[in-house]
Amino acid sequence: MTPAERAALVEAVTTARRDVRADGRVVAAPAWHDLDAVAREEAFDAIVAQRRLEAAVDPDGLSTTARAVLARIRGW
Amino acid sequence: MSVDLDVHAAAVAAGDLDAFGRWVAGAEPAVRASLRPFAARVDAEAVVQETLFRVWQVARRFVADGRPNGLLRLALRIARNLAVDEMRRLRTIPADPASIARLADDPADAVQPVEPDPRLREAIADCRRRLPPRPAAAIAARIDGDGVTPDRLLAAALDMRLNTFLQNVSRARKLLLACLEARGVRVAEELR
Repeated sequence: MTPAERAALVEAVTTARRDVRADGRVVAAPAWHDLDAVAREEAFDAIVAQRRLEAAVDPDGLSTTARAVLARIRGW
Repeated sequence: MSVDLDVHAAAVAAGDLDAFGRWVAGAEPAVRASLRPFAARVDAEAVVQETLFRVWQVARRFVADGRPNGLLRLALRIARNLAVDEMRRLRTIPADPASIARLADDPADAVQPVEPDPRLREAIADCRRRLPPRPAAAIAARIDGDGVTPDRLLAAALDMRLNTFLQNVSRARKLLLACLEARGVRVAEELR
C-alpha cells in the first residue's frame, strides 16, 4: 500500500457515514478493516479532532456523528 | 468546566428528541474518549453511534442514582460492552487476560463532559474562513452531509474524484488545526 493509498483509507474512515446491519447494529466502515493498528489509531485521532471541529461550528453543537444518530432515530 | 448532563434526562426519558440532541452534544466527546483504548481493535465511530442509539432506546427506563451524569455513565458502560462484543466478533480481543481487564476497566469516573468554549467556536469559524476554496468546500460538504451522505456522492457534487475529495478533507482539517495552534489554541487538549 502506498502512503497516498493509506492516507486515503484513513480519511475514508473519518466520515460519520456508517451502514446499519440487517439486525439493526451499526457496522464498521469498510476501509477500517484495511487499516493496520497504527493507522486505526491515526483514524481515531483524526475523527476526534474532526467531530470537535464539526460540533464547534454547528449552531446546536452537534457533530455529524450526532446528526447521523438523530437521523437514524427519526427513521426508526 | 464539568457539567451535569442529567439536566436533560427527564426530557429525554419523555421522548424529547431535541433534548436528546442537547445531551448528545455534551456526551459524545466523553463516549468517544472512553473508547480510545479500543481504537486499534474496533471502529470506535460505529460503537459511538450504536451506543448513542441504544441510550435513546433505554432512556425512558433510566432512574437517576443521585450522582451527576448518570445517563452518561450508563452510556459509557454500554460503549465499553459494545466494544468488547465487537472485539469478540472480529476476533481482535487480546489473548492476555490482563490486557482484557485494562480495556474493560469501568470508565465511568474517568471521562467527564465538558462545556463548549465559545472562544474556541469563534477561533474555528475564523480559521475556516481562511481555508483555500477546495479544502473549504470539501469539509463543508462533509459537515452538510450530516453523516448520512456517502463521500462518493459528496465528491461528485463538488466535481471531485473521491481520492481528491478525501485529500481535501484531510488538508482542511490539518490547516484548521494549524491555524488554531497559531492562534494559541492548545489543540491537543481542547480537541481531544
